[in-house]
Amino acid sequence: MKKFLAVFKKEILVFLRNVGLVFILIYAFTFDIYVAGKGIEVKPRNVSVGYVNYSGELLPQKILAHLHAPEFQKPKRFLNEKELKKAVFNKEIMVGIIFDKDFEKNFIQKRAAKLNVIIDSTAAAQAEVSVQYLTQTIYSMIDGKMPVDIKVYKLFNPNSNSKWFMSLSELLSVTTMLSLVLIAVVFVREKEAGTWDIMLLMPANGALIMFAKVFSQIFIITVGLVMGIGLILFGVFGVPINGNLFYFFLLTFFFIMAMGGIALVIAAYSNSVLEVSQYTVLVVMPLLFLSGAWTPIHSMAPWLQKLSVISPVKYYIEGAQSIFFRGTEFIDLLPYFTGEIIIGAVLFYLGYRRMGKLF
Amino acid sequence: MKLGVVKAYLKKEFIDLWRSKMIVMIYLIPMMVVILFGYGIRMEVTHSRTVIIDRDNTKMSQEIIRAFSTTKYFDTVVLNITDSEAIRRIKQNKTDLFIIIPHNFEKNLLHSRNAEVAVYIDGSFPLRATTLEGYVQGVFLNQLEKNGVKVPFEINQRNFFNESMRDENGIIPGLIGLTMLIAPAIIAALLIVKEKEAGTIFNFYSSPVSKTEFLIAKLTPPFIMHSLNTFILFLIAVYIFKVPFKGSFLLYFLATEIYIIISIGIGLLVSIITSRQVTALVLTIIITVIPGFLYSGILMPISSMTGESYIEAHLFPVMYYNHLLYDAFLINQGFNSPKNVEYFLILIFYALTLLFIGSLLLKKELK
Repeated sequence: MKKFLAVFKKEILVFLRNVGLVFILIYAFTFDIYVAGKGIEVKPRNVSVGYVNYSGELLPQKILAHLHAPEFQKPKRFLNEKELKKAVFNKEIMVGIIFDKDFEKNFIQKRAAKLNVIIDSTAAAQAEVSVQYLTQTIYSMIDGKMPVDIKVYKLFNPNSNSKWFMSLSELLSVTTMLSLVLIAVVFVREKEAGTWDIMLLMPANGALIMFAKVFSQIFIITVGLVMGIGLILFGVFGVPINGNLFYFFLLTFFFIMAMGGIALVIAAYSNSVLEVSQYTVLVVMPLLFLSGAWTPIHSMAPWLQKLSVISPVKYYIEGAQSIFFRGTEFIDLLPYFTGEIIIGAVLFYLGYRRMGKLF
Repeated sequence: MKLGVVKAYLKKEFIDLWRSKMIVMIYLIPMMVVILFGYGIRMEVTHSRTVIIDRDNTKMSQEIIRAFSTTKYFDTVVLNITDSEAIRRIKQNKTDLFIIIPHNFEKNLLHSRNAEVAVYIDGSFPLRATTLEGYVQGVFLNQLEKNGVKVPFEINQRNFFNESMRDENGIIPGLIGLTMLIAPAIIAALLIVKEKEAGTIFNFYSSPVSKTEFLIAKLTPPFIMHSLNTFILFLIAVYIFKVPFKGSFLLYFLATEIYIIISIGIGLLVSIITSRQVTALVLTIIITVIPGFLYSGILMPISSMTGESYIEAHLFPVMYYNHLLYDAFLINQGFNSPKNVEYFLILIFYALTLLFIGSLLLKKELK
């Protein structure tokens, strides 16, 4: 135990002396998450609208007045269709509305009034949702004619505050990346600096050194996580925690062990930090993208869905979202823990075996 | 500047790259990113697990259920459970949304009394929730229309650029922009910092090689190699993901080459302020990935940005390149549009400025 603590302490010291790395850790767990939470607005907001009006003034103005913040910008008037199209082509306007000559007349005479909408659909989903907003706005304008009242309740995040989701997602992505990089580097640095042999001469056996090194990095990442959650998630964005935070840290521990296993394999195969970085990118990208962090797993291709069962990140991200947002009880969290522990054990064992050969 | 020196140095760099196996990474990583993310990122929500609780059990409610189960957006199951059981299913992440059609729904509807349906959506992923909300309303409206409920407006929607509304058409070009920003920067930064860390940078400090010669020798290999990526990624986009290519290939090619130079310039700047490869790597990723995603226009159109983010978007080169990239793939205005020419010149300006600043700051001596 004393030896374990000595190696543990040494690794923490080495980390603290590397000012750049400390800075990066702090940056990644605070500012980076802040920027992601603040900047990325995934639902369409503030959509730019332009219009051409060949019809009477009254009805078009009434419709346009209903297109307002936060969904829409103040509609911009264009003199003719050509000008409007040019603005759309230059990506200055996303939604263009053209009121035809007999639009108002048709509406008053209760004939079907046709509203022409041109839309920049480069980002298909966004365009789709923007048109839905437009439709909803128009329908709500003529309220009372809607025969069905569709009451939508968005659970856990009633105002669709995307800052909560984005900041948590970014926190989890940062954890994934850093746990791979830090744990791999802690071994490879010794190889690269030529201190590997000195390490072997230490009066401690290989397993102990390995565990002490891995745990020192888990400790560092946990400190970063506490910082990120406390300062940014709770402090700045007011992310709710509907479940138990303790479970989150427990899940994080198993998750980092799983990532540690992968990191050990990477460290065993690479001789320089440069190689670590390349392998890490190779591993992190598919892991993150199979995790369901950005795309619902159920919208993926079936073969990808099957593959995602073995991704440790999937269990971590789903579990973390359940703890933070869904407030899931422990009994329902068990699948995530089971998945994480099994994958973690297998991966760590493989990494341990591979790395152990070098001791 | 002596050509002979540059030639020799270049040769050494290429041999170095070849031996370090980095060459595989230069091609493998961008391809992988585009393919994996191309398959993986979907902004549209399909196959959301839907539970319908039908407490009305009439012709109308059956029809609504049928309408839900025929779209690709919903995987519908009809269950007879209580509200709290349904909420528990959401908490267990077994269901994304549930719809309750209450008792007397059809009766209320036919007597034009206030008919209500309740929809509960898992809101942990806000975009998914908002999109689903829209889909649900769409299905209901459609169903009402079919049953003779009069609609006062008809919306005649024309989609520009991405007529078929395929997610891939927007995302794949965006991904090309993202990889072309990140990958060259990483290689350029690491090539220089590697020498710093190994101490071989002293060869440069002490030899008569000039700064320009050093920079040309260091930055040309990543530039040439990534130029080939321009074609590889283009082929992936057009042949694997079937993204239409309507515009000029020349515009695409030139803009991308300049963008690679910008990216290399960023890598150069990173290599100047860092002395460790890890630091250089993480720093490059941090300063390229976030603006690369944020200002690509995939997540949020530039025209919707306000305040700081609008200014920031114009400060980073990402926005200008993506505009040209989308033009080449989807819009086809080419160099006829003054805006494209303007953006193209801005990109050239960025490339030159970054290289200039980088070569100014690079020191040929110990600090």
